[in-house]
Amino acid sequence: MNAPLHRLAEVAADPDAYVVAWKQSHPGRKVAGVLPMNFPEELLHAAGFLPVVIQENRDPDSDGRVILAEFYCGYTRNLADQAAKGKLDIYDTYFVADHCVQLLGAADVMRFKAPGTPIYFGQFIASMSEESTARKVRNEMEHIVGEVERGAGTPIDRERLAESIRLYNTDRRLLRMIFDARREGRIHLSGAQMQDLVKSSMVMDKAEHVALLEQLLTEGIAAGGSQARVKLHLSGHFCHAPKQELLDLIEDCGAMIVDDDLYHGRRYITTDVREDLDPIEALSTWYFDRNVNVPCPTRVQHDADWDTYLSNAVSESGADGVIVLMAKFCEPHMLLYPELRKMMDERDTPYLLIETEHEGLPMETIRTRIEALVERISRKATVAAAL
Amino acid sequence: MTTNPTTSPTTTGSTVTRMQANVEGGKMIADYWENIFTAPERGKKVVWYNGSALNPIFQAAGLEWCHGEAFSARLAAQHLEGPAQLAGAEYGYIQELCSYSRTHLGCAVLSNGGGPTPGGETGVVSALDQQELASKLPKPDFFVNAYSGCSTGQQWDEVTYRVFGKSVPIFNVSIPFLWGNKPDSRYMGGQEWDEATDYVVAQLRDLITFIEAQTGRPFDWDALSESMSYIRTASELRLEGMDLCAKKPTPATYWDWIASVAHINFLPGNQELVDYFRSVRDEVQYRVDNEVSALQNERYRLYFDGIMNWNKLGWLAKRFAEYDAAVIAGRYTHSSFWQEPQIIDPNDPLRGMAQHYLLCPINHSLPTLDYLTQRDCERFDIDGLVFHSTRTCRAFTNPQTMLASSAKEHLGIPAMFFEGDVADASFYKDDILESRLVAMLESIDVRRAKAGV
Ligand code: SF4
Ligand code: SF4
Repeated sequence: MNAPLHRLAEVAADPDAYVVAWKQSHPGRKVAGVLPMNFPEELLHAAGFLPVVIQENRDPDSDGRVILAEFYCGYTRNLADQAAKGKLDIYDTYFVADHCVQLLGAADVMRFKAPGTPIYFGQFIASMSEESTARKVRNEMEHIVGEVERGAGTPIDRERLAESIRLYNTDRRLLRMIFDARREGRIHLSGAQMQDLVKSSMVMDKAEHVALLEQLLTEGIAAGGSQARVKLHLSGHFCHAPKQELLDLIEDCGAMIVDDDLYHGRRYITTDVREDLDPIEALSTWYFDRNVNVPCPTRVQHDADWDTYLSNAVSESGADGVIVLMAKFCEPHMLLYPELRKMMDERDTPYLLIETEHEGLPMETIRTRIEALVERISRKATVAAAL
Repeated sequence: MTTNPTTSPTTTGSTVTRMQANVEGGKMIADYWENIFTAPERGKKVVWYNGSALNPIFQAAGLEWCHGEAFSARLAAQHLEGPAQLAGAEYGYIQELCSYSRTHLGCAVLSNGGGPTPGGETGVVSALDQQELASKLPKPDFFVNAYSGCSTGQQWDEVTYRVFGKSVPIFNVSIPFLWGNKPDSRYMGGQEWDEATDYVVAQLRDLITFIEAQTGRPFDWDALSESMSYIRTASELRLEGMDLCAKKPTPATYWDWIASVAHINFLPGNQELVDYFRSVRDEVQYRVDNEVSALQNERYRLYFDGIMNWNKLGWLAKRFAEYDAAVIAGRYTHSSFWQEPQIIDPNDPLRGMAQHYLLCPINHSLPTLDYLTQRDCERFDIDGLVFHSTRTCRAFTNPQTMLASSAKEHLGIPAMFFEGDVADASFYKDDILESRLVAMLESIDVRRAKAGV
């Protein structure tokens, strides 16, 4: 593995260590923990915080298990566990913009366990088709600005914010270049490596991340190297990263991942903040643009269809099939899944649903199911070739 | 002393005395649904809605309204949820999904001609399932969603809209969650509360414009004032009855108040509603005056937190009574349904209505829920808390363990948890309920012994 990839993987594997080291090397600076999936990190960056999207950790849940019931998604239960164990004490403040009922449940646990740490919920209205929503989101953005400024103890300089936006856009653009190159078969990186690129971006100082991506692109990423029998699109998995063992297993079963709409994937990097608008206006617009670019079932927008997006993405990448990765108990995903299924049935795209949990994934059972999918796709290709 | 407003009280099992007014009230509910089922024949437009009690607006607009959760709850309470849930499962809804939504979406699938046997033009019910569902829920002319607190509630209607192929218009009212962001945030007060109120009021006005477009008629503001006036009076009577339950032993239980949830939440605001709640209040007053207790031998006074387990309603009432445990109040009954009537100004009702929607007990974060729970525990002199850990309703389950520890810390009262669900009986485990109830009652006994009570 080359040096930039190695460093990005290292940060992705242990975000807490990165945060602690950053604080040591930046005395007096604050770290803001951000909950997924829509908070505009640029605001925090411009105010001098290190914004970090809080990641699910690898520890088995213990203390937190008794706080949130077992029927919560892996991410929220693990957040509760981290809060209960004091693992989130590395953050000076928290920010949330997403109204997911389970996420707010976890946020309540975070406040309960660390009442001294400010946690601000600047709700971005999820129903996006009403005229009043844009005004409300814009208004909420102003409130968030006020809160960020209060936390930072200084006003956000608009020029500084514009710079942060440019920096974040650069990071997203570089990541998209890599994702596009993978989709077009010009490079080969494993699913786990692709995840490292995005996950590290959620954690690291952006300038440092951009520098590593630039170095990686300058050094070049090898093409080929995969003996895969089928090409797959990975879909879903909100808020936290699917376990890398699972991604490895998919590839081990003879599949190559060519594209995805995972939050720890294309969903996070898909949309730039417009640089031709007032920065606050641009961040509000970004919230709406994101849901058009990769529709999300946590939002309610009548003319944004995740199923249509997925169908187009599969056509574009030439994926032979789709694996839907669902964080078990994730309600928005459970609600929209039948629409995805209907679309995949209609276009005769083979698919497999895998529900994930924080612990105890039945890997051998999953292997059998993935192998069956790969076999099904291969047989379909053989039949098609014979016609 | 008041006169006995009832015929002789009915007795179930060995210790529960059910309220006669609620037997009468059951007929009002049956009539309401029958009315919905015949709406198309009568040329009435039907709105499907979820969440907040928007029904006074629909009433004033001359619509028939069908509350999705209420329909799911009714099916579950009558043990008729099976066919709808099966249709939902076949369509692809996973069992861990909110069972209210699963049941209702199953109805939508059937209504839209999906499911095991295609349904007819007007109903959710295929010929196969007609008997079981015992309903002919008409297709909606439009949807309105105004779900407080729970993101699933809003997403559910969006998905229903998609199940109907986006062919039925929909309007969303967004109710901001009251997180308590500001230093001045408190129950029904502070900047966050005021701003949220303004925002919801503006959306209600937009909703009324939308409804005018759907009905082709100007909205009848006088009719709204009138129905809100009835609802305010009904609510005051209901609260008077609830207040009387501070008496020991209690004259009525949580289960009695559950029986009138539908009335206050979605029946038409009219004189009949007021009369019904007057009869409820009078019956409770009669019991107070005549020393009639809800349980023949009340030894424990409990508070119930969680959304109702509709499949097990009668069963749970008996289970607790068997142990002389009077469940007296709860978050669902006491903090959900027009529970702050003083905020309704019948002459200018929208603001109070908006505030009521914000006051939904799943729309508050933990500090406010701590306040409400402990307030009611003190008000009714509660000995212990019962938490219904509702498998597919995270909105109600969210704060429960923390509420339990706060109540323990501040009031010294114990809690128990049992597993169940709103509308899926398979998640209920009776042996767990029983063993945990016994354990909690024992701990109450120990506490009393120590205190020399
Ligand atoms: S994974 Fe799903 S349920 Fe969990 S916090 Fe994210 S959106 Fe909510
Ligand atoms: S999860 Fe609970 S609060 Fe949310 S929509 Fe379902 S029943 Fe309503």
